[in-house]
Amino acid sequence: MEMLNYPETVASIADDYLERVKAQLPLLPAGEREDFLAEVRSHIYEAYFESSCADEVARILAVLRNVGEPVDMVADRLPKSMVRSGAARNLPLYVLGGILVALFGLPLGFGGVAVLMGLLLALGGIVMAYYAVAGSLLFAGSLIGLVGLIRLALPGVYYQLVELGYINLGPPEFLAQVPASALGMLLIAIAILFAAGGIGMLRLGKKMLRGFRFLVGLAFDWMRSTAQKVRARFTPGRRDRRSAGHVQFVK
Amino acid sequence: MEYQDDAKDRRITQLRKGILELAVMGVLYHERHYGYSLVRVLSESGAVSLKEGTVYPILARLDRDGLVRSEWVESAQGPPRKYYALTASGRRLFDDLSVELDLLISLVQRKWSVEQGSRASRKKVLVVKG
Repeated sequence: MEMLNYPETVASIADDYLERVKAQLPLLPAGEREDFLAEVRSHIYEAYFESSCADEVARILAVLRNVGEPVDMVADRLPKSMVRSGAARNLPLYVLGGILVALFGLPLGFGGVAVLMGLLLALGGIVMAYYAVAGSLLFAGSLIGLVGLIRLALPGVYYQLVELGYINLGPPEFLAQVPASALGMLLIAIAILFAAGGIGMLRLGKKMLRGFRFLVGLAFDWMRSTAQKVRARFTPGRRDRRSAGHVQFVK
Repeated sequence: MEYQDDAKDRRITQLRKGILELAVMGVLYHERHYGYSLVRVLSESGAVSLKEGTVYPILARLDRDGLVRSEWVESAQGPPRKYYALTASGRRLFDDLSVELDLLISLVQRKWSVEQGSRASRKKVLVVKG
Protein backbone atom coordinates (compact mmCIF):
# COMPACT_ATOMS: atom_id res chain seq x y z
CA MET A 1 0.00 0.00 0.00
CA GLU A 2 1.19 3.48 -0.81
CA MET A 3 2.14 6.09 1.73
CA LEU A 4 -0.80 8.26 2.64
CA ASN A 5 0.74 10.33 5.43
CA TYR A 6 -1.75 9.02 7.96
CA PRO A 7 -0.78 8.67 11.56
CA GLU A 8 -0.39 4.99 12.38
CA THR A 9 -3.63 4.51 14.33
CA VAL A 10 -5.61 6.31 11.63
CA ALA A 11 -4.02 4.13 8.95
CA SER A 12 -4.96 0.96 10.78
CA ILE A 13 -8.55 2.11 11.26
CA ALA A 14 -8.81 2.99 7.57
CA ASP A 15 -7.24 -0.33 6.57
CA ASP A 16 -9.70 -2.18 8.74
CA TYR A 17 -12.57 -0.44 7.00
CA LEU A 18 -11.11 -1.26 3.57
CA GLU A 19 -10.81 -4.89 4.61
CA ARG A 20 -14.49 -4.87 5.47
CA VAL A 21 -15.30 -3.43 2.06
CA LYS A 22 -13.11 -6.07 0.47
CA ALA A 23 -14.92 -8.81 2.38
CA GLN A 24 -18.14 -7.67 0.72
CA LEU A 25 -16.72 -8.33 -2.73
CA PRO A 26 -15.61 -11.95 -2.75
CA LEU A 27 -16.93 -12.62 -6.23
CA LEU A 28 -15.51 -9.58 -7.95
CA PRO A 29 -12.56 -10.19 -10.29
CA ALA A 30 -9.35 -9.08 -8.59
CA GLY A 31 -8.74 -6.14 -10.92
CA GLU A 32 -12.20 -4.72 -10.43
CA ARG A 33 -11.97 -5.18 -6.69
CA GLU A 34 -8.62 -3.40 -6.41
CA ASP A 35 -9.96 -0.59 -8.55
CA PHE A 36 -12.93 -0.07 -6.28
CA LEU A 37 -10.82 -0.35 -3.12
CA ALA A 38 -8.47 2.30 -4.50
CA GLU A 39 -11.48 4.50 -5.11
CA VAL A 40 -12.70 4.07 -1.53
CA ARG A 41 -9.19 4.64 -0.21
CA SER A 42 -9.00 7.88 -2.16
CA HIS A 43 -12.40 8.93 -0.85
CA ILE A 44 -11.37 8.35 2.76
CA TYR A 45 -8.16 10.24 2.21
CA GLU A 46 -9.88 13.26 0.68
CA ALA A 47 -12.49 13.35 3.42
CA TYR A 48 -9.91 12.95 6.17
CA PHE A 49 -7.75 15.84 5.02
CA GLU A 50 -10.72 18.11 4.49
CA SER A 51 -11.87 17.59 8.03
CA SER A 52 -10.87 20.08 10.66
CA CYS A 53 -11.33 17.97 13.76
CA ALA A 54 -8.30 18.12 16.04
CA ASP A 55 -8.36 14.58 17.38
CA GLU A 56 -7.06 12.14 14.75
CA VAL A 57 -9.03 9.11 15.83
CA ALA A 58 -12.27 11.03 16.20
CA ARG A 59 -11.58 12.48 12.77
CA ILE A 60 -11.17 9.19 10.93
CA LEU A 61 -14.12 7.69 12.77
CA ALA A 62 -16.31 10.63 11.73
CA VAL A 63 -15.13 10.23 8.14
CA LEU A 64 -16.00 6.53 8.10
CA ARG A 65 -19.34 7.21 9.76
CA ASN A 66 -20.17 9.65 6.98
CA VAL A 67 -19.11 7.17 4.33
CA GLY A 68 -21.51 4.61 5.74
CA GLU A 69 -21.53 0.83 5.94
CA PRO A 70 -19.48 -1.20 3.45
CA VAL A 71 -22.62 -3.17 2.62
CA ASP A 72 -24.35 -0.05 1.34
CA MET A 73 -21.34 0.92 -0.69
CA VAL A 74 -20.97 -2.23 -2.74
CA ALA A 75 -24.63 -2.63 -3.67
CA ASP A 76 -25.19 -2.91 -7.42
CA ARG A 77 -21.62 -3.93 -7.93
CA LEU A 78 -22.38 -7.61 -7.40
CA PRO A 79 -24.74 -8.86 -10.11
CA LYS A 80 -22.75 -7.42 -12.98
CA SER A 81 -19.52 -8.80 -11.64
CA MET A 82 -21.06 -12.23 -11.18
CA VAL A 83 -22.15 -12.36 -14.77
CA ARG A 84 -18.92 -10.90 -15.99
CA SER A 85 -16.62 -13.23 -14.10
CA GLY A 86 -18.48 -16.14 -15.66
CA ALA A 87 -18.14 -14.66 -19.11
CA ALA A 88 -14.46 -14.06 -18.56
CA ARG A 89 -14.00 -17.77 -17.99
CA ASN A 90 -15.95 -18.41 -21.14
CA LEU A 91 -18.52 -20.46 -19.29
CA PRO A 92 -21.87 -18.80 -19.90
CA LEU A 93 -23.39 -22.16 -18.98
CA TYR A 94 -22.19 -21.70 -15.43
CA VAL A 95 -23.90 -18.36 -15.34
CA LEU A 96 -27.11 -19.91 -16.63
CA GLY A 97 -26.79 -22.76 -14.14
CA GLY A 98 -26.09 -20.26 -11.40
CA ILE A 99 -29.21 -18.31 -12.23
CA LEU A 100 -31.29 -21.50 -12.32
CA VAL A 101 -29.84 -22.72 -9.04
CA ALA A 102 -30.42 -19.30 -7.54
CA LEU A 103 -34.02 -19.43 -8.69
CA PHE A 104 -34.81 -22.96 -7.64
CA GLY A 105 -32.36 -23.24 -4.84
CA LEU A 106 -30.03 -25.65 -3.16
CA PRO A 107 -32.32 -28.70 -2.91
CA LEU A 108 -32.28 -29.06 -6.68
CA GLY A 109 -28.70 -28.17 -7.49
CA PHE A 110 -27.29 -28.76 -10.94
CA GLY A 111 -28.61 -32.32 -11.17
CA GLY A 112 -32.12 -31.27 -10.18
CA VAL A 113 -32.04 -28.44 -12.66
CA ALA A 114 -30.95 -30.86 -15.37
CA VAL A 115 -33.90 -33.18 -14.58
CA LEU A 116 -36.23 -30.20 -14.54
CA MET A 117 -34.94 -28.99 -17.88
CA GLY A 118 -35.31 -32.50 -19.29
CA LEU A 119 -38.92 -32.69 -18.16
CA LEU A 120 -39.67 -29.30 -19.64
CA LEU A 121 -38.02 -30.29 -22.93
CA ALA A 122 -40.06 -33.52 -23.05
CA LEU A 123 -43.28 -31.58 -22.44
CA GLY A 124 -42.22 -29.11 -25.11
CA GLY A 125 -41.72 -32.07 -27.48
CA ILE A 126 -45.24 -33.34 -26.80
CA VAL A 127 -46.65 -29.92 -27.51
CA MET A 128 -44.69 -29.74 -30.75
CA ALA A 129 -45.90 -33.20 -31.83
CA TYR A 130 -49.46 -32.16 -31.14
CA TYR A 131 -49.11 -29.15 -33.36
CA ALA A 132 -47.40 -31.23 -36.04
CA VAL A 133 -50.45 -33.53 -36.15
CA ALA A 134 -52.80 -30.58 -36.34
CA GLY A 135 -50.71 -29.04 -39.10
CA SER A 136 -50.58 -32.25 -41.15
CA LEU A 137 -54.35 -32.69 -40.79
CA LEU A 138 -54.84 -29.24 -42.24
CA PHE A 139 -52.31 -29.94 -44.98
CA ALA A 140 -53.89 -33.27 -45.95
CA GLY A 141 -57.34 -31.68 -45.88
CA SER A 142 -56.34 -28.94 -48.28
CA LEU A 143 -54.67 -31.45 -50.61
CA ILE A 144 -57.76 -33.68 -50.73
CA GLY A 145 -59.91 -30.62 -51.23
CA LEU A 146 -57.73 -29.58 -54.14
CA VAL A 147 -58.07 -33.03 -55.74
CA GLY A 148 -61.85 -32.90 -55.24
CA LEU A 149 -62.04 -29.52 -56.91
CA ILE A 150 -59.99 -30.75 -59.85
CA ARG A 151 -62.29 -33.78 -60.15
CA LEU A 152 -65.35 -31.51 -60.15
CA ALA A 153 -64.11 -28.73 -62.39
CA LEU A 154 -61.54 -30.36 -64.62
CA PRO A 155 -62.34 -34.09 -64.96
CA GLY A 156 -59.98 -34.36 -67.93
CA VAL A 157 -57.03 -33.14 -65.95
CA TYR A 158 -58.08 -35.41 -63.06
CA TYR A 159 -57.99 -38.57 -65.18
CA GLN A 160 -54.70 -37.51 -66.68
CA LEU A 161 -53.21 -37.07 -63.20
CA VAL A 162 -54.53 -40.48 -62.14
CA GLU A 163 -53.05 -41.98 -65.28
CA LEU A 164 -49.69 -40.41 -64.57
CA GLY A 165 -49.82 -41.73 -61.00
CA TYR A 166 -49.85 -38.32 -59.34
CA ILE A 167 -53.20 -39.03 -57.80
CA ASN A 168 -53.55 -42.39 -56.09
CA LEU A 169 -56.64 -42.55 -53.91
CA GLY A 170 -56.68 -44.97 -51.03
CA PRO A 171 -58.42 -48.34 -50.90
CA PRO A 172 -59.88 -48.87 -54.43
CA GLU A 173 -62.61 -51.29 -53.30
CA PHE A 174 -64.08 -48.47 -51.20
CA LEU A 175 -63.84 -45.79 -53.88
CA ALA A 176 -65.04 -48.14 -56.63
CA GLN A 177 -68.51 -48.10 -55.08
CA VAL A 178 -68.68 -44.35 -55.30
CA PRO A 179 -70.20 -43.13 -58.52
CA ALA A 180 -67.66 -41.17 -60.54
CA SER A 181 -69.83 -38.06 -60.54
CA ALA A 182 -70.06 -37.99 -56.74
CA LEU A 183 -66.35 -38.54 -56.20
CA GLY A 184 -65.53 -34.83 -56.32
CA MET A 185 -68.15 -33.96 -53.72
CA LEU A 186 -67.05 -36.85 -51.50
CA LEU A 187 -63.44 -35.70 -51.64
CA ILE A 188 -64.43 -32.18 -50.68
CA ALA A 189 -66.51 -33.49 -47.81
CA ILE A 190 -63.53 -35.50 -46.56
CA ALA A 191 -61.33 -32.43 -46.98
CA ILE A 192 -63.71 -30.34 -44.87
CA LEU A 193 -63.66 -33.07 -42.22
CA PHE A 194 -59.86 -33.07 -42.13
CA ALA A 195 -59.68 -29.28 -42.02
CA ALA A 196 -62.25 -29.16 -39.25
CA GLY A 197 -60.20 -31.69 -37.31
CA GLY A 198 -57.06 -29.62 -37.74
CA ILE A 199 -58.67 -26.35 -36.76
CA GLY A 200 -60.36 -28.00 -33.81
CA MET A 201 -57.00 -29.31 -32.63
CA LEU A 202 -55.48 -25.84 -32.92
CA ARG A 203 -58.34 -24.33 -30.94
CA LEU A 204 -58.07 -26.97 -28.27
CA GLY A 205 -54.31 -26.59 -28.26
CA LYS A 206 -54.61 -22.95 -27.31
CA LYS A 207 -56.64 -23.89 -24.25
CA MET A 208 -54.31 -26.74 -23.41
CA LEU A 209 -51.30 -24.45 -23.67
CA ARG A 210 -52.91 -22.06 -21.27
CA GLY A 211 -53.51 -24.86 -18.80
CA PHE A 212 -50.01 -26.18 -19.38
CA ARG A 213 -48.49 -22.78 -18.72
CA PHE A 214 -50.54 -22.47 -15.57
CA LEU A 215 -49.30 -25.84 -14.35
CA VAL A 216 -45.68 -25.00 -15.12
CA GLY A 217 -46.02 -21.66 -13.35
CA LEU A 218 -47.54 -23.40 -10.35
CA ALA A 219 -44.72 -25.94 -10.24
CA PHE A 220 -42.06 -23.24 -10.50
CA ASP A 221 -43.63 -21.19 -7.73
CA TRP A 222 -43.84 -24.18 -5.50
CA MET A 223 -40.22 -25.12 -6.12
CA ARG A 224 -39.05 -21.60 -5.46
CA SER A 225 -40.90 -21.25 -2.18
CA THR A 226 -39.71 -24.68 -1.03
CA ALA A 227 -36.18 -23.74 -1.97
CA GLN A 228 -36.42 -20.52 -0.03
CA LYS A 229 -37.73 -22.32 3.03
CA VAL A 230 -34.94 -24.89 2.92
CA ARG A 231 -32.33 -22.23 2.32
CA ALA A 232 -33.58 -20.14 5.21
CA ARG A 233 -33.38 -23.16 7.50
CA PHE A 234 -29.86 -24.21 6.60
CA THR A 235 -28.16 -20.90 6.02
CA PRO A 236 -29.59 -18.20 8.25
CA GLY A 237 -26.63 -15.95 7.45
CA ARG A 238 -27.64 -15.62 3.83
CA ARG A 239 -30.44 -13.26 4.60
CA ASP A 240 -28.01 -10.55 5.67
CA ARG A 241 -26.08 -10.98 2.45
CA ARG A 242 -29.16 -10.54 0.35
CA SER A 243 -30.01 -7.25 1.91
CA ALA A 244 -26.78 -5.99 0.40
CA GLY A 245 -28.65 -5.73 -2.86
CA HIS A 246 -30.59 -2.70 -1.72
CA VAL A 247 -29.42 0.83 -1.54
CA GLN A 248 -30.07 2.25 1.86
CA PHE A 249 -30.10 5.88 2.67
CA VAL A 250 -29.74 7.08 6.19
CA LYS A 251 -31.48 10.17 7.28
CA MET B 1 -53.32 10.86 10.83
CA GLU B 2 -50.78 8.40 12.18
CA TYR B 3 -48.50 6.52 9.90
CA GLN B 4 -45.76 4.05 10.58
CA ASP B 5 -42.20 5.29 10.56
CA ASP B 6 -40.81 2.43 8.52
CA ALA B 7 -43.45 2.98 5.87
CA LYS B 8 -42.26 6.55 5.62
CA ASP B 9 -38.60 5.54 5.51
CA ARG B 10 -39.25 3.00 2.80
CA ARG B 11 -40.94 5.60 0.65
CA ILE B 12 -38.23 8.16 1.18
CA THR B 13 -35.65 5.57 0.16
CA GLN B 14 -37.67 4.75 -2.93
CA LEU B 15 -38.03 8.38 -3.90
CA ARG B 16 -34.39 9.14 -3.34
CA LYS B 17 -33.10 6.18 -5.27
CA GLY B 18 -34.29 7.37 -8.64
CA ILE B 19 -33.99 11.07 -8.06
CA LEU B 20 -30.50 10.98 -6.58
CA GLU B 21 -29.37 9.05 -9.62
CA LEU B 22 -30.77 11.84 -11.75
CA ALA B 23 -29.07 14.45 -9.57
CA VAL B 24 -25.74 12.65 -9.97
CA MET B 25 -26.23 12.66 -13.73
CA GLY B 26 -27.02 16.37 -13.56
CA VAL B 27 -23.83 17.12 -11.66
CA LEU B 28 -21.73 15.07 -14.08
CA TYR B 29 -23.40 16.66 -17.11
CA HIS B 30 -20.99 19.59 -17.46
CA GLU B 31 -18.23 18.74 -15.02
CA ARG B 32 -16.24 15.65 -14.21
CA HIS B 33 -16.01 14.64 -10.58
CA TYR B 34 -14.44 12.03 -8.35
CA GLY B 35 -16.55 10.31 -5.71
CA TYR B 36 -15.74 12.63 -2.84
CA SER B 37 -16.14 15.87 -4.80
CA LEU B 38 -19.43 14.58 -6.15
CA VAL B 39 -20.69 14.04 -2.62
CA ARG B 40 -19.53 17.52 -1.62
CA VAL B 41 -21.43 19.14 -4.48
CA LEU B 42 -24.55 17.11 -3.79
CA SER B 43 -24.63 17.98 -0.10
CA GLU B 44 -23.61 21.61 -0.56
CA SER B 45 -27.17 22.86 -0.21
CA GLY B 46 -27.46 20.99 3.06
CA ALA B 47 -31.08 20.20 2.35
CA VAL B 48 -30.50 16.52 1.73
CA SER B 49 -28.07 14.64 3.89
CA LEU B 50 -26.82 11.43 2.44
CA LYS B 51 -24.33 8.81 3.40
CA GLU B 52 -21.34 9.43 1.19
CA GLY B 53 -21.00 5.78 0.28
CA THR B 54 -24.34 5.73 -1.47
CA VAL B 55 -22.98 7.52 -4.53
CA TYR B 56 -20.89 4.48 -5.40
CA PRO B 57 -23.80 2.13 -6.14
CA ILE B 58 -25.29 4.92 -8.26
CA LEU B 59 -22.02 5.36 -10.14
CA ALA B 60 -21.77 1.59 -10.59
CA ARG B 61 -25.25 1.48 -12.12
CA LEU B 62 -24.54 4.39 -14.43
CA ASP B 63 -21.25 2.81 -15.46
CA ARG B 64 -22.90 -0.53 -16.13
CA ASP B 65 -25.33 1.12 -18.51
CA GLY B 66 -22.62 3.09 -20.27
CA LEU B 67 -23.98 6.43 -19.05
CA VAL B 68 -20.71 7.54 -17.44
CA ARG B 69 -17.06 6.97 -18.27
CA SER B 70 -14.30 7.05 -15.71
CA GLU B 71 -10.56 7.63 -15.60
CA TRP B 72 -7.87 7.68 -12.96
CA VAL B 73 -6.11 11.02 -12.60
CA GLU B 74 -3.03 11.68 -10.47
CA SER B 75 -3.64 14.08 -7.62
CA ALA B 76 -1.21 16.76 -6.46
CA GLN B 77 -1.68 15.58 -2.89
CA GLY B 78 -2.62 12.06 -1.96
CA PRO B 79 -3.64 9.04 -4.02
CA PRO B 80 -5.01 9.27 -7.59
CA ARG B 81 -8.69 10.09 -8.02
CA LYS B 82 -11.19 8.30 -10.19
CA TYR B 83 -13.06 10.90 -12.22
CA TYR B 84 -16.47 10.34 -13.75
CA ALA B 85 -18.18 12.22 -16.56
CA LEU B 86 -21.45 11.71 -18.38
CA THR B 87 -21.15 10.12 -21.82
CA ALA B 88 -23.06 11.41 -24.84
CA SER B 89 -25.77 8.83 -24.33
CA GLY B 90 -25.87 9.73 -20.65
CA ARG B 91 -26.48 13.38 -21.57
CA ARG B 92 -29.26 12.47 -23.95
CA LEU B 93 -30.90 10.30 -21.32
CA PHE B 94 -30.61 13.03 -18.70
CA ASP B 95 -32.35 15.51 -21.02
CA ASP B 96 -35.22 13.10 -21.52
CA LEU B 97 -35.48 12.17 -17.88
CA SER B 98 -35.47 15.74 -16.60
CA VAL B 99 -38.42 16.54 -18.84
CA GLU B 100 -40.18 13.51 -17.42
CA LEU B 101 -39.33 14.60 -13.89
CA ASP B 102 -40.70 18.10 -14.47
CA LEU B 103 -43.99 16.60 -15.56
CA LEU B 104 -44.16 14.39 -12.51
CA ILE B 105 -43.27 17.18 -10.12
CA SER B 106 -45.87 19.48 -11.61
CA LEU B 107 -48.37 16.70 -11.07
CA VAL B 108 -47.42 16.39 -7.41
CA GLN B 109 -47.29 20.11 -6.72
CA ARG B 110 -50.40 21.09 -8.58
CA LYS B 111 -52.88 22.83 -6.33
CA TRP B 112 -55.86 20.55 -6.33
CA SER B 113 -58.55 22.94 -5.25
CA VAL B 114 -60.50 21.85 -2.20
CA GLU B 115 -63.82 22.97 -3.67
CA GLN B 116 -63.31 20.92 -6.81
CA GLY B 117 -62.43 17.87 -4.78
CA SER B 118 -65.49 18.03 -2.55
CA ARG B 119 -67.80 18.60 -5.48
CA ALA B 120 -66.40 15.55 -7.20
CA SER B 121 -66.88 13.40 -4.14
CA ARG B 122 -70.45 14.66 -3.68
CA LYS B 123 -71.21 13.74 -7.23
CA LYS B 124 -69.90 10.27 -6.62
CA VAL B 125 -72.22 9.81 -3.64
CA LEU B 126 -75.18 10.95 -5.71
CA VAL B 127 -74.30 8.46 -8.41
CA VAL B 128 -74.12 5.68 -5.87
CA LYS B 129 -77.49 6.64 -4.43
CA GLY B 130 -79.12 7.01 -7.84
